[in-house]
Amino acid sequence: MAEYFMVVLLDDHRMAKIRGTGLEEHIKYMFGGELRLLEVKVTEELKDRILQEFETARVDSRGAITDLPVAFMRELFNQVVEKRSLGPEVVEAVLEKIDQIKEAAKKESEYLPPPELEEEE
Amino acid sequence: MSRFLIERPLPHGGRLVERVITDKDAAKKMIKGCPSYDIKPTLHFETGVPVRNVYREIMSICYGFFSPVEGSMKQAEVERILKERRLLNEWIFPYPLVFDISEEDYKKLGVGPGDRLVLNLKGKPFAILDIEEVWRIDNPEELAHLTFGTPERNPEVVKQPFDKKHPGWVIYRSLQPVVLAGKYTIINEPKFREPFDRFWFPPRKSREEFDRRGWRTVINHQTRNVPHVGHEFLMKCAAFTGDVEPCHGILVNAVIGVKRRGDYPDEAIVEGHEAVNKGGYIKPQRHMPSIVLWDMRYGNPLESLLHGIIRQNMGCTHHMFGRDHAAVGEYYDKWATQILWTKGIPSYGFPAPPTDVPYGLNIRPQNMREFAYCPTCKEMAYSETCGHKREKLSGSFLRGMVAEGVQPPTIIMRPEVYRVIVKWWKKFGYPFCNENYVINKEKELEVDLEDL
Repeated sequence: MAEYFMVVLLDDHRMAKIRGTGLEEHIKYMFGGELRLLEVKVTEELKDRILQEFETARVDSRGAITDLPVAFMRELFNQVVEKRSLGPEVVEAVLEKIDQIKEAAKKESEYLPPPELEEEE
Repeated sequence: MSRFLIERPLPHGGRLVERVITDKDAAKKMIKGCPSYDIKPTLHFETGVPVRNVYREIMSICYGFFSPVEGSMKQAEVERILKERRLLNEWIFPYPLVFDISEEDYKKLGVGPGDRLVLNLKGKPFAILDIEEVWRIDNPEELAHLTFGTPERNPEVVKQPFDKKHPGWVIYRSLQPVVLAGKYTIINEPKFREPFDRFWFPPRKSREEFDRRGWRTVINHQTRNVPHVGHEFLMKCAAFTGDVEPCHGILVNAVIGVKRRGDYPDEAIVEGHEAVNKGGYIKPQRHMPSIVLWDMRYGNPLESLLHGIIRQNMGCTHHMFGRDHAAVGEYYDKWATQILWTKGIPSYGFPAPPTDVPYGLNIRPQNMREFAYCPTCKEMAYSETCGHKREKLSGSFLRGMVAEGVQPPTIIMRPEVYRVIVKWWKKFGYPFCNENYVINKEKELEVDLEDL
């Protein structure tokens, strides 16, 4: 059976939140250490449910589930911290809040604040 | 001169189709007294969302990207394409291209074979269609299945039946029943808006531009994405092929057309590629971003055939093909395109590669695997060369990062490219195509027209 996962990116703000949770030892480093992340496990059944619920969602060549609303990804991080886990129960907990997430996603599909860049042309 | 030097191929079909009238007085005379029709977008058969605009096909046909196709196809031609992927004049071609209208519009127009129909775009005369035949699509669902194939009929590469989740299948499923077949001629040249105008190199112009740049060999990079560093390495390294030296030029040809939600805006795609050369990662003397208008059918091997035709017509000597070329979902084998160009796909009418059949193509495929970051080599490394465990790079992973407001590391996306994304993000209020973008784009299109 194929293995699926979701990536939680860690910037400095999120790093502070997971400090002391025991999750630090699971941090993965990519691209020469320039990117920190956690991987949350997703079962086949949960993968199918996510793809069914969110039409933009796709599975990339690595088996990662991507292109989900930012609201989903934010809640995914919250649940990782709350459950102190990277198992499928994290995604299950996120899916319990699906109505809330879809409502937020509806708004965010109209506007997402762009980041401010330091060195703009 | 070395006998190994490669020459620029002739256009597909032997000559470039150019059906554009630039003399406005002549154009006015041509349309005097003719009935006219406002071009309408093709709407999704269930949701009513625009999925295609035939104006893009008219542009690509009349400027020669699709040579030797000259217009909307007759029934016999469509049937031959579905069976053998050949036009009636024998040259290979992958897809039916038709001008379709509703029964209601057909009755209102009251036209038939021998009539000239003026096609309006955005309220202005744009092109003419000289009708040679009127025929009907009785079963658009069957047409859609025949266009792309089925696992039973095309077991070499089709892995699952096509359905309404496939945007190309939806285009054919959504066609109107009456087809007006005949040649198109543009009588009022549209003007591209910024930033598209500076990337418009139709085949004659691109061939002239290659001459001006002194490019004998040119490899094409197909794109519908903002480039990450994996794409950049594919471009750079595929270009090491050539003849006695690496390819002189890399043509990036972005397919501009109807968008899916979640794609990058077309503006960010073309300027993102330009940023690669402005940033010096591939110097501009060797790199040329360009566009072609086409509502992608996502037909993987069939789409690659169209890409080969377009880029041969533009004057390219080579075409790079990667994994899942022009694909969506898991309908096709992920290497279906490379199978076509390496040994052919008999069930599609290709017992040999499209370069090795009569009336075939004369552009060389350069089949590439993948680049990924290797933490041991500490660089982007080629899957077939590097022996270490690599970190795969996917466009969708990057999109997630961008959406969360995290600037991708330089090793995977150049900061100049990211700045382009943010520039258009600020303009559209969103980094990707959302509903507003898709609706506005199909309303505004990429061009404006002047009065004739």
